[in-house]
Amino acid sequence: MLSLLKKKSEANVPLVPAWHPNFRNFERLPDTKVVRTAFFINVFAITVTLVLLLYVVRKEWDLHTVRVQIADKEQQINRDKPGSDQAVALFKQFQGEEAKVAEVDAFVKSKTAVSTLLIHLGETLPKNIAIDRFDLGKDGLALSATVRGAPDQASGQATAYIEQLRADKELAPLFDDITPTSSGRNPQNGRIMIQLFLRFKGVVGKDGKK
Amino acid sequence: MSLTNEQVVEFAKKNPISVGCGVLIVALLATAYFRADLPGEAETELEQKSSEAARLAANLKNAAHLKEHFDAVSAAQKQIESRLIQPKQLTTNSQYFYKLESETGVKLLDQGQTALTAAQRKDIKGNYLPTVFTLSVQGDYSQVLTFLRRLENGSHYCRVLTAQCSNSSAERGGQLTLALNLELLGFP
Repeated sequence: MLSLLKKKSEANVPLVPAWHPNFRNFERLPDTKVVRTAFFINVFAITVTLVLLLYVVRKEWDLHTVRVQIADKEQQINRDKPGSDQAVALFKQFQGEEAKVAEVDAFVKSKTAVSTLLIHLGETLPKNIAIDRFDLGKDGLALSATVRGAPDQASGQATAYIEQLRADKELAPLFDDITPTSSGRNPQNGRIMIQLFLRFKGVVGKDGKK
Repeated sequence: MSLTNEQVVEFAKKNPISVGCGVLIVALLATAYFRADLPGEAETELEQKSSEAARLAANLKNAAHLKEHFDAVSAAQKQIESRLIQPKQLTTNSQYFYKLESETGVKLLDQGQTALTAAQRKDIKGNYLPTVFTLSVQGDYSQVLTFLRRLENGSHYCRVLTAQCSNSSAERGGQLTLALNLELLGFP
């Protein structure tokens, strides 16, 4: 088609007035150029086709590679799935059993061992102080004690004992506040009596302090 | 000027390479256009399958010693259950405290089991049920302490909720009275 147009354009070139009639039929004359126009068109068409073909083939090859990988993964999944399902089921059973063990552990550790506390208080009790009453409640421990000795010395010993309890490293994780609640003389024997309250950690006191 | 079929056929016969390439280009463009989404979909599928495969492989890897761990926990669980009480077996539960009394030398002044109401039972969400007991024992310091230690470290799981310990008499070194409010862990 283009060659036809080419020929026509050549035919339309204004001619120098001929000295004799021009009987040439441009429609039927061959293309006499050294490299024919059709050659360039064909080369261009082939080049575009090849580039496009390479592009499509490359895309298809990539797709094929991904599909091979998918097939490989599916094979792996089919191989591992039964074992994995069994493991998951066993793990669920394990979790159930573990929860029961953890529940027992939490139950046992939720409260202070009273015997341990009693023994510790007994071991650290100063020579002239005797505990009359040990009352462990929800909020803390109430202690009633008698201090032996002259009242002036006994008061000092009671204060020292309170400071000792406050500095006690074994009691520190359990109680956050140790306060004397009352102090006075026993009318029967004249000895100094003190009452202490050791408040558990995390318990809100009457003063609103935690 | 319109082209007739004959002209088109004649043109194709005259230019077979360029016409063939043109047809091929159209076909390739159509292929590229209609299959443009496939690589993306395949990549997504590959990612899903890869993560699924990795998850299953990790499950298998992590489960290498799971059987042994499960057996160990099951054995521990059996031991735990052997130490639980049956709340409904009142006499058996009382027997536990009487046995401790005879072993430690304290005198059991009072002992009782607090039964849970149906509503209280419903509120408990765990696998086990703590049953509340009230006890009162009398003895010297050593006996009372031994009783308490045996109770807290005994064959049943025990936690003491409240404890009051005081002198029973005015004299030092005399009898102590220990009142306890405690829980023993049992089957629901």
